[in-house]
Amino acid sequence: MLVMNGRYEDAGHEESGHPERPDRITAAIAGVEDLHLGDDLRAVAPHAATRAELARVHEGTYLDELGAFCYAGGGDLDEDTYATYDSWTIAQYAAGGGLAVIEELRRLNDGVGFIATRPPGHHALRDRAMGFCLLNNIAVAAASLTEQGERVLIVDWDVHHGNGTQAIFWDKPDVMYVSTHQSPLFPGSGAAYEIGGMAALGRTINIPLPPGATGDVIRRAIDEVATPAIAEFEPTWVLVSAGFDSHRDDPMADLALTGGDFAALARTVAGFAPGPGRLAIFLEGGYDLAALRTSVASTIAAVLAGAYDDEPPSSGGPGTEMVHYAQAERLVALRIAQEAASKGDYSA
Amino acid sequence: MKTLTTIAVGFDGSADAKAAVRWAFNLAAQIDAHVVVVHAVGMLGRFEDRDAAKQLEESVRQLSDDCGLDSSRVRLHVANGDACSVLIRVADDPISADLLVVGSRGQGKHPGLLLGSTSLELAEHTTVPLVIVPSL
Repeated sequence: MLVMNGRYEDAGHEESGHPERPDRITAAIAGVEDLHLGDDLRAVAPHAATRAELARVHEGTYLDELGAFCYAGGGDLDEDTYATYDSWTIAQYAAGGGLAVIEELRRLNDGVGFIATRPPGHHALRDRAMGFCLLNNIAVAAASLTEQGERVLIVDWDVHHGNGTQAIFWDKPDVMYVSTHQSPLFPGSGAAYEIGGMAALGRTINIPLPPGATGDVIRRAIDEVATPAIAEFEPTWVLVSAGFDSHRDDPMADLALTGGDFAALARTVAGFAPGPGRLAIFLEGGYDLAALRTSVASTIAAVLAGAYDDEPPSSGGPGTEMVHYAQAERLVALRIAQEAASKGDYSA
Repeated sequence: MKTLTTIAVGFDGSADAKAAVRWAFNLAAQIDAHVVVVHAVGMLGRFEDRDAAKQLEESVRQLSDDCGLDSSRVRLHVANGDACSVLIRVADDPISADLLVVGSRGQGKHPGLLLGSTSLELAEHTTVPLVIVPSL
């Protein structure tokens, strides 16, 4: 069963010519509809995240300023990120969607969650909007779970590094953050030596990939670099920052994934969940509407073990050496940090 | 006090940023320092005019000519990220700046609002002395 957030009115968060636009949600929903799930699809009522729910990961002053900025008419928050009068309300619903879906998954103790909300979230920092993101939707959801004693794995396959999510959980041992992303690319973070803070060494796993990297390279990255650490972490929940801008047709970057690659990735990631009702997939990027639609369909079909005519998986792109280098760099960083910690030097 | 050898200045092409670059170039000319003009490429960088890089270089060259600063003492550094995150890192390799200069407002910012103010964010987080050049 697929549990989805109910759609809320998001048309008010739009800026002429900006690629992060309401049509993206329409395309994602069309991807789900292409699967003809019938009774296997359950929509939960839209939920606007409360201030207390947001304040688990965002500073109160930031929430106040963002709300005031929107109600003053909005504008450009930085060179990439805009807000309108309606954006504050819409962002609250975007962040609340994950909470509502997770609550339903917990109640059912079954199913897979898919949260198709916008604006996306993984660049949003505790105190700052960034990279089209106002509130960090997946972080809000993960924090709600850790507050209930859960151990949360976040896998981020967006083409951009999720700097906001990484920063929010940098020192939190009950969250593991795994990212594959193109490098160099915005936001410039996500090096393999970024491994987490002293209280959470090894809980951050970054695997930067070169332009042109194909699905076989990302699968290798997950299998060789991330899987052993994930097995050791033993997550009780798995959340996915599913950015489909790593699709080969996306105009935002240069990775070369296909719908078939997202299906394979989704199957792998679903295998990290300890049982049914413990996997939720959050929409992040994805700006080519046709690629977004087919990628969503492939991803959902894969985790539901349903049938979908995926694009063939891609292979043969560059990046294998970069994966090996990332693994080596990560292990060296871990060793240096662990030695420093054993000597009580927390500045390393 | 440490001698100023490298000045970093943020540049997004706006009038405020040009004022900051002029200020940095004039200071560099007086104290024989080098200047690194730092340009951040955001997520939308992909959608920028294809000639944007050329225009950027031309603007910097024109400004250094105007200020009489030898072009060998000017370097353009383009980095991925939002302006704030990129400029916070100017003390590190490969820039290793001793001083950071920015305009009071960049493109599309809203005067009087805290949110979205790169200069105020930098004032809070930068690890090198910061000069905010007011718009005139």
